Amino acid sequence: MSYQEKNITVSLVNFVLILGFYLFRVFQMLQSGSFNSTNVFWLWGIIIALAVIVTIVATILTHIGSGIIQAIKTREEPRIEDIQDERDQFIDLRGTKVTYLVSSIGSFLSMLTFVLGQPPLVMFTLLIFFGVLAQILGDISRLYLYRKGF
Amino acid sequence: MGKGHIRNHIRKLRFFHNEMTQQQLADQVGVTRQTIIAMEQEKYSPSLELAFRIARAFNVPLEEVFSYEFQDETNIRKDS
Repeated sequence: MSYQEKNITVSLVNFVLILGFYLFRVFQMLQSGSFNSTNVFWLWGIIIALAVIVTIVATILTHIGSGIIQAIKTREEPRIEDIQDERDQFIDLRGTKVTYLVSSIGSFLSMLTFVLGQPPLVMFTLLIFFGVLAQILGDISRLYLYRKGF
Repeated sequence: MGKGHIRNHIRKLRFFHNEMTQQQLADQVGVTRQTIIAMEQEKYSPSLELAFRIARAFNVPLEEVFSYEFQDETNIRKDS
């Protein structure tokens, strides 16, 4: 597994965990009857902060972890291929395309609930759900392209 | 219109160039070793610029490294 693939896998695991936490909290709020603007926007803040902080920390840890494992395996100075060549850039572009597509459809569906008479909180809840889902699907498509080739 | 497929002889050329490693070739042409592996497995078709850089690394014309195989819907013929 290349450095880029490891990074994408770590990002994928992070966002799946974040989505799991988000859905768990939303269902908890719905069950306890505390699905109100204060709690939903607090959750928004937590999810965005988690996405940023966890991604940065995970990238650094992947970098260090890869270096240590490689050094142990080869007993040489670790050589991490963190440069992005044309293939990496192309795969990244295709993944970003998937992310944008899913997040655009998600935004449209979220706004549709508002048009159909649902409260704004439903729209905001769905917006962040589709945002995280778009990131997950983008990562899956990147991994697929690395594995399958094109 | 039929479908095309780009074939290459990178593995063979590496062998005949003092058994050059994938890493050595990758360093010479400025890509990662993973990209060389993907090209050898024909999972990735390089850009024209990278194709020229690879041909230059082996000091051979482009056609000696890459060939285009054209698959027609009715019959398969090879362009060499």
